[in-house]
Amino acid sequence: MNLSFHHIAPFLTTGQNKLSRWLSYIGLGIGVLLLLCSIQMYININALLKNKDQKKDGYDYIAVTKNISNENMAGSHSFTDADIAEIKNQSFIDDAAPFLSNKFVTKANGGATLPFSSDIFLESVNEKFIDTLPASFTWKEGDNTIPLIISSDYLELYNSVFAPSRDLPQFSEKSISSLLIGIDCEGLGGTQTFRGNIVAMSDRINTVIVPESFLKWANRHFANSTKAEPNKILLKTKDANNPDLLTFLQQKDYHVNKDKTRFGRIKQILQAIVSGLAGFGVLVILLAMVLFSFYLQLMIARSKENLQLLLTIGYSPAWLSKTVSRKWIPVYVVILIVTVAVTAFMHWGFQHFIMKDNENLSPFIHWIVIAVAVVLLLISVTLNYRLVKKLLYRL
Amino acid sequence: MQIQLQKLAPTFIEEEKISGSQVWNNDMVFSPGEKIQVIAPSGSGKTSFIHFLYGMRKDHTGNILYADKNIAGFNAEDFATHRQRSVSIVFQDLRLFTQQTVLQNLEIKRQLAPYHAATKVMEMADRLGIGSKLNKYCKTCSYGEQQRIAIIRSLQQPFDFLLLDEPFSHLDDANRKLAMDLIEEEVELRKAGIILADLKATDHFNATKTFNL
Repeated sequence: MNLSFHHIAPFLTTGQNKLSRWLSYIGLGIGVLLLLCSIQMYININALLKNKDQKKDGYDYIAVTKNISNENMAGSHSFTDADIAEIKNQSFIDDAAPFLSNKFVTKANGGATLPFSSDIFLESVNEKFIDTLPASFTWKEGDNTIPLIISSDYLELYNSVFAPSRDLPQFSEKSISSLLIGIDCEGLGGTQTFRGNIVAMSDRINTVIVPESFLKWANRHFANSTKAEPNKILLKTKDANNPDLLTFLQQKDYHVNKDKTRFGRIKQILQAIVSGLAGFGVLVILLAMVLFSFYLQLMIARSKENLQLLLTIGYSPAWLSKTVSRKWIPVYVVILIVTVAVTAFMHWGFQHFIMKDNENLSPFIHWIVIAVAVVLLLISVTLNYRLVKKLLYRL
Repeated sequence: MQIQLQKLAPTFIEEEKISGSQVWNNDMVFSPGEKIQVIAPSGSGKTSFIHFLYGMRKDHTGNILYADKNIAGFNAEDFATHRQRSVSIVFQDLRLFTQQTVLQNLEIKRQLAPYHAATKVMEMADRLGIGSKLNKYCKTCSYGEQQRIAIIRSLQQPFDFLLLDEPFSHLDDANRKLAMDLIEEEVELRKAGIILADLKATDHFNATKTFNL
């Protein structure tokens, strides 16, 4: 059959009810534009608020503890094995390791170079979580020297605040390794003095780290404790600002350094707004499609006698459904091209004028936006075809 | 393609009418090339018979087979294919698109499965005396003219059988002859058969078989 819609058009009352047809086109355009813009903005927010700091290996590391409130102050705040397993099980968490801490009294003194003495704490964590791990970071029973890794923030605080106030010498990262620190451990077995040697600085871990082997031995030796009972867990994640991660931490009432996840919280709010907009866009699209389906139903109802007669004289219902529904494909294609173009233009305006050509944003729209537009086109055309077919077979 | 009837009988006609019929409840085979005339008074089921054969009504017992295939198992697409290629029809109530012109009525059928060129339509219209009506709306034509439009429409496609339901009821004798001659020529061209239902033996129709319904 070399027939087209053009041949059967005079037999259908398509010209009627122009207003509802045009309203449905406009509605569809607005709905699709809202949806596409929302998707693009969602992608933009993710690109702009990706935390690029402290990502030497492409991961974020964040330490979490259990929230301590007035109500639960008295109870235990350590993580159980089940807690740790649950944390590791989350898709947005790549790995997790508990911190082991000292369970005995520890004091440090600066020896002859630095005349000061203070109670301190020691912690250890799985070595693969440490960003700066020198080969010398080992300890075995009998060694008198303990290698230490301290947070670079501590050195900065010492150099900028502590040393000038006490008229003490300042240290570079290299020279601090020559400093010998006396570490006194007190407990069941009496007091034992070790020599501490700072072997590295860490940007990732905000504490004093000693080898796990030392801490396990010392806890057993000075406190007769073999239980880990960690109060702090280090999480390894691809994105500390992942809203799913934040939601999980909020649900479990885990405490985390707010600054590390600050962008995540902003992102959570922005994503909620954009998702709301996208939802509204979907609603408008649905309404427009319903309106258009009314138009199609009305057209078929008005042309019922002629359509019945066309079927009687040998027109195939499948061909009629295809031909009638295909008639609106060009209209839908135009709507989608216009909405994609407007979305592209608005995105470019946002990137260029508002974000001042921010390098984290491409001036072009994301391929997902175009893919969504194509999928919407396919859905609309398929739904129209199925509706027309259903109505025709019912005649 | 042959059309076979296996004990075909309407479900809505009295038993005595069915038992006295040469068609109802009989086994029959119609082949292309045959000219079948079915005669019956009003109310005996002539139109129902034609509609059964065309697959438009199913309120009957027995079977109808197109080329050994029971049409009870046909779907809408199967019927569409047969109505484009193997079976054409002139309805008693004509079933024209009254809001369209005469030419649109003829072209909508011709374009579906063209057997003739568009010029042939004009020729046929001239021959049956409605050439001047081609661009007029169908609803403005007389019933006799509409009958001729329906006849010309039925001749625009290929077919093995032409079903005619009282096709000349509103035509005078001269026009009956013109129409019958055109029909027989076209049927001859396709080596097809005719199944014609009427109140009495139709003038100018050289039936090879006649049955009383």
